[in-house]
Amino acid sequence: MLKSRINRREFLATTALGGAIAAAGPYRPAEAQTKSLKVRSYIAPERLDPIHYLGAPEADIFDCLYPGLISYKPGKEWGWQLDAATSIEQVDPTHVKFELKKGLGWSGGNGEVTAEDVKFSYERIAKPENKSPYRGDWEALDRVDVTSSHTGVIVLKEPFIPLFSTTLPRAAGNIVCKKAVEKLDGQRFTLEPPATFGAYKIKKIEPRVRFTLERNPGWPGERAMFDEVDFVVVTDANAAETAFATGELDVALLPMTAVPRLRKAMPPKSKLVVSPSLAYWWLGMQMEDGIFKDKRVRQAVQYAVDAQSVLDGAFFGVAERSTGIIAPGMIGHRPANKIAKPDLDRARKLLAEAGHPRGFKTEIGVRNSAEFINVGQVIAAGLAQVGIQAEVAPFDSGVQKAMASDKAGGWKKMQMHVVRFSMAPDPSWATVWFTKEQIGEWNWERFPDAEYNDLHKAALREYDAKKRHDMYVRMQDIMEDSGAYVFLTHGVNPVLHRDHFIPALAPDGNRVYVTKFKST
Amino acid sequence: MLFYVMNRLGLAAMIVATALAMLFGMIHIVPGDPASIVLGPRATPEMVAEYQARMGLDKPLPMQFLVFFLNVMKGDLGRDVFTNQPVFDLVMTQLPHSLALAGLGLGWAILIGIPLGCFSAIKRGSWLDRLTGVISVSAIAIPSFVVALYALLVFAVWLRWFPAIGAGKSGQIGEQLWYLVLPAFSIGLGWVGYLARLVRASMLEILGDNHIRTARAYGLPERWIVYRYALKLAVLPTVSLLGVGLGRLLSGAVFAEIVFARPGVGKLVYDSVVSRNYPVVLGAVLITTGLFVLCTLLADLINAMLDPRVREKL
Repeated sequence: MLKSRINRREFLATTALGGAIAAAGPYRPAEAQTKSLKVRSYIAPERLDPIHYLGAPEADIFDCLYPGLISYKPGKEWGWQLDAATSIEQVDPTHVKFELKKGLGWSGGNGEVTAEDVKFSYERIAKPENKSPYRGDWEALDRVDVTSSHTGVIVLKEPFIPLFSTTLPRAAGNIVCKKAVEKLDGQRFTLEPPATFGAYKIKKIEPRVRFTLERNPGWPGERAMFDEVDFVVVTDANAAETAFATGELDVALLPMTAVPRLRKAMPPKSKLVVSPSLAYWWLGMQMEDGIFKDKRVRQAVQYAVDAQSVLDGAFFGVAERSTGIIAPGMIGHRPANKIAKPDLDRARKLLAEAGHPRGFKTEIGVRNSAEFINVGQVIAAGLAQVGIQAEVAPFDSGVQKAMASDKAGGWKKMQMHVVRFSMAPDPSWATVWFTKEQIGEWNWERFPDAEYNDLHKAALREYDAKKRHDMYVRMQDIMEDSGAYVFLTHGVNPVLHRDHFIPALAPDGNRVYVTKFKST
Repeated sequence: MLFYVMNRLGLAAMIVATALAMLFGMIHIVPGDPASIVLGPRATPEMVAEYQARMGLDKPLPMQFLVFFLNVMKGDLGRDVFTNQPVFDLVMTQLPHSLALAGLGLGWAILIGIPLGCFSAIKRGSWLDRLTGVISVSAIAIPSFVVALYALLVFAVWLRWFPAIGAGKSGQIGEQLWYLVLPAFSIGLGWVGYLARLVRASMLEILGDNHIRTARAYGLPERWIVYRYALKLAVLPTVSLLGVGLGRLLSGAVFAEIVFARPGVGKLVYDSVVSRNYPVVLGAVLITTGLFVLCTLLADLINAMLDPRVREKL
């Protein structure tokens, strides 16, 4: 018989421990009691200098610390609004006058924000010797003329349409402190900005963990809703979803695949904003070497791929089919694909004409993530119906890029690939990667069309919106006619947030403007 | 003893150098250009070439290794290509998190696993022994990341007893310990099973030894025999295993760091491999390899202290 050996002391100790655990109750983060906001940062902020930043989460921090003259208007439509400027006006195609708000003060006794700072910030990125990866944003900049302490003129060498759509409202338009940056070694900084002037100031930096901001009492502009903002580094999307469920995040950008799950069961007191992404996914075929050199083979693939099945199978029906590389709502968005539905008979006929009546074996290179692999597998299943046996080959993104750039011919191994490129809200950001100059870099299809190249250059200088729109539509027609592209989707960006505030998000959901959040 | 320690230190240096040479070769076999990743898609070929020259990436591989090796000899592990921060400083910001996680994970495994194994050996054949065996084998068999996911779901999402992500605010020890509970539980559970099985097997072997039979013949109390004589010898293989385990967990707890969004050396290395941040990969692996070797050395020395037979061989 089993005999209990527990004695009185042990019983009391166990009871006391149990009581203590029960009294402690469920864990409640202390931050929940303060008016703070916890935002997911899906990369670790490492470079807070607009001259060489790495991604959107860093730019979200810039807007809190050192805004630009203008910023994107949060909401559903792409547009801009004044930020550090009281006025900005394009007086002619190459001159933009601006006036800064008065009373914006740099931290650390660096004085007031002046037009000299604007000049320094923009010319610094534009100067070739500074080797900024974002020099392209200011490639048309000639100089910034300072006309008074708070006014100036941005002078362009030639008309540059993306100035207001992607240069000024993005990181290349943020203003840094001339006096403080000039004192730095190499005149650039990484994690510790030498001076800030925005609605928030830095409270604490824990590299690779969190970036905590607190209200800047000296900010003369509109008061931000939260006293403190924590940009918490959560690189894994599943961890971010869990952290939201446990109250450790208040705003989180999640992957597309989370949408059906969330629509079935939303965490309490939360809302989901699903915004159409600007990014674009496509199936590409390398047209310079190998089996896809034959246009008929490429076209056979175009007719064999059922894009709707890809969307249903890999994106759970959350995203719409794309008609090109330019998202809906933007200049240059194409109304429809030329090949809108699969036609297997035509695909088989084209394969037979090309000398492959029984199909062939090939590879679809994809990035090594579940989303990409799923897309590749659904495409492979469709291609199998016309005899093309495509094996899905997952690669690290760096490996794919290295193969594409391999001068020794590594690119020849890249026959088909599923790719996703991100983009900014100007069509030129999408079309630039498919020019001849990008062959061996980002033009993985090695698509070499002269008309396309000319149109890309001309559209950058075309002010007539209708003409510009037509140019971009024509460019996407050329891409599809080449047979090298099957446009799949733009996808969506789901952002999960608490329901006690209205978040200020970019129309594509990819940027979070924490200074512009409103209470419900 | 001194000769033994010197000998082991020399061996340790050779192990670190070999590991570094292998790693250096391996990370350069993986295609991917750090320059184009660091500079972004809009970088011109001239900018990429200039960056490669500045970072020494345009030199032949053996030359790059030689430069790296000589710098390491001078105590310079290089700089992070993104932040330009010294790699040593960067690793040192992450190492305390990894040490705490590995230490606490193994700590609770020792506290539970060793008594469990000991108890099983003493009660050999009883239903409690069999139950302990089933639990131990199950703990070993369940992959740690599965434990992590379920622990997260039950204790963080449903019960809300523990936080789901992060490591707590720096400087707040209590909060940081609270954040460690679930990750430490996840990585330690398998070790509970390992240690229990190992200690049980060792104990059974030692309890059948001549000196234990002699002790019993002298009429020493059973509790005295078990805890004073048998257990002391039975934990020897455990000490060696723990030395290796602690060293491995310093950079090998990457799954826990990802699932719980914790900082740590493992995640630092993982992120750096993905972004081709070679100086950080090399520097972090150098430090963790050094610590791994140190842990195994300490385990051997502890073994020598506990077991006179080992001491005699030195």
